[in-house]
Amino acid sequence: MIRTLKPRNARSKRALEAREPKLVENQKNTLFLSGTSTSDLTRSAMTDIHSLKKPNAIKFTKKNSIHPFEDAAPLEFFSSKNDTSFLVFASHSKKRPHNLTFARTFDHRILDMLELGIDESTFRPLTFFKTSKPGIGMKPLLSFSGAIFDSIPNYQLFKSMFLDFFRGETVDSINVEGLQYMIHFSAPESTEQNPTPTIHMRVHMIKTLKSGQKLPRVEVEEMGPRMDFKIRRVQEPDEAMMKEALKKPRALEARSKKNIETDIIGDKIGRIHTGKQDFGKMQSRKMKGLKRRPTDDADEEMTLVDEDEDNSAKKARLA
Amino acid sequence: MPSSTIAEKKERLPVLVEKPIPLEFDMGNLCAFDTNPLDPTTYSSSLEECLNNAARDCAQALINQVLTTLPMKSAFDGVYAELPDPVTPLPREKPLPKAKEPTKWELFAKKKGIKAKTKDGKLVYDEEKGEWVPKWGYKGKNKDDEGDWIVEVDGKKERERGEDRNPRALSREERKDRIKKNERQMKKNEKRAVVGGKSLAIRNGRVGKR
Repeated sequence: MIRTLKPRNARSKRALEAREPKLVENQKNTLFLSGTSTSDLTRSAMTDIHSLKKPNAIKFTKKNSIHPFEDAAPLEFFSSKNDTSFLVFASHSKKRPHNLTFARTFDHRILDMLELGIDESTFRPLTFFKTSKPGIGMKPLLSFSGAIFDSIPNYQLFKSMFLDFFRGETVDSINVEGLQYMIHFSAPESTEQNPTPTIHMRVHMIKTLKSGQKLPRVEVEEMGPRMDFKIRRVQEPDEAMMKEALKKPRALEARSKKNIETDIIGDKIGRIHTGKQDFGKMQSRKMKGLKRRPTDDADEEMTLVDEDEDNSAKKARLA
Repeated sequence: MPSSTIAEKKERLPVLVEKPIPLEFDMGNLCAFDTNPLDPTTYSSSLEECLNNAARDCAQALINQVLTTLPMKSAFDGVYAELPDPVTPLPREKPLPKAKEPTKWELFAKKKGIKAKTKDGKLVYDEEKGEWVPKWGYKGKNKDDEGDWIVEVDGKKERERGEDRNPRALSREERKDRIKKNERQMKKNEKRAVVGGKSLAIRNGRVGKR
């Protein structure tokens, strides 16, 4: 049976409405969870990712007996309870040490999951780098280096997942001074010896120096966290669900306006249709000499004279 | 380009990123996609330097892209770059909102071609009192017959409802029944709407505590 719930007061009504599907969606929230056993490293990694994701993130501290790839129902439950469509689950076991599982939901059902192992030897937390840090809720620059993110399905999923994860709010305009930091993902090409290369995540503060030219010289300074990921288990999105999730609302499509075009240079060209002009009624320059006489005879005389002149001119030309 | 200017530029630190495959951008998400492979020699010898160089190039390219291609607008608190819509297809969080399910009356009215009445306000002129009174609610016009000390008895209605009912209370009872009927219809319509286009938040139950 479907349980219908009527909000009892205005506040809970607003809270329910905020969770309803929207035409223009809010930023996705993230929930950080840990499994029954975690390592210091995964906890630290989660804290760092959480601090990059603030304020659109919730972090739970209690242990949860969840195995996402065996039964994802508890994750779906947490997703619907907290209205979060991203879940980050930390775990640590002998078989899969230092494990982070990134899960994405659509309509509070698991869309896709990506299990990443963090390399213990190269991990450096946010606090390791003694640099200035970006303000909370700043929109980062993102970059993906390596053709592998376009060629191999698991890496494509990684790109889609992390672009979605870190992109922040979709905004119309951004203060140029707010471009403070960049999250950079890179991976070498896959080879015979190493078919699944490590993905490197590096976070840099951006510094702009005067270059003497119009554009500034950009330098980067690593601010952490530094993480190297190995892709472990993956749950690909269900095709039908993904198709549903990628639907674009009709109402947001720009209506093409008639007779307005933009050419290749970017100039706007409009076409206007006017009725046929009546030249007979058109007002030309007024002159006393051209004024119509009241009598008809005068008019005739004038035309006769004109004709004579024309004829004489023709004769002259012929001769 | 003359060679002197190139030398000058190198002195000045280059600001342009030249790569064999040009970078792709999704400026709506402030994202750059660099499909050039990482330099294999520096990757194996000094990894961090290799990654740092790749990151710097991406950052430079992104900043250049922001400053050269995006329209700028200056405000009192700084210069704003106007971002285009994101182009990378990313999944939505929730399905597209569904249109409100029409009520049973709306369906019937559409079938019969009945247009909605124009709203002519809550007040109506009471000729007896000589003033404007509300149609319903406190001192409403629809309660006019309820206080009457003498009422006309409708024989047919009395037979239907039983003779022991107080005829003076009949008018009020009828009004209350109409309200109840309307509420029943409202609930039915809501139920139909939920079964048709399931409202998610409501289906999932209570709003959880964080």
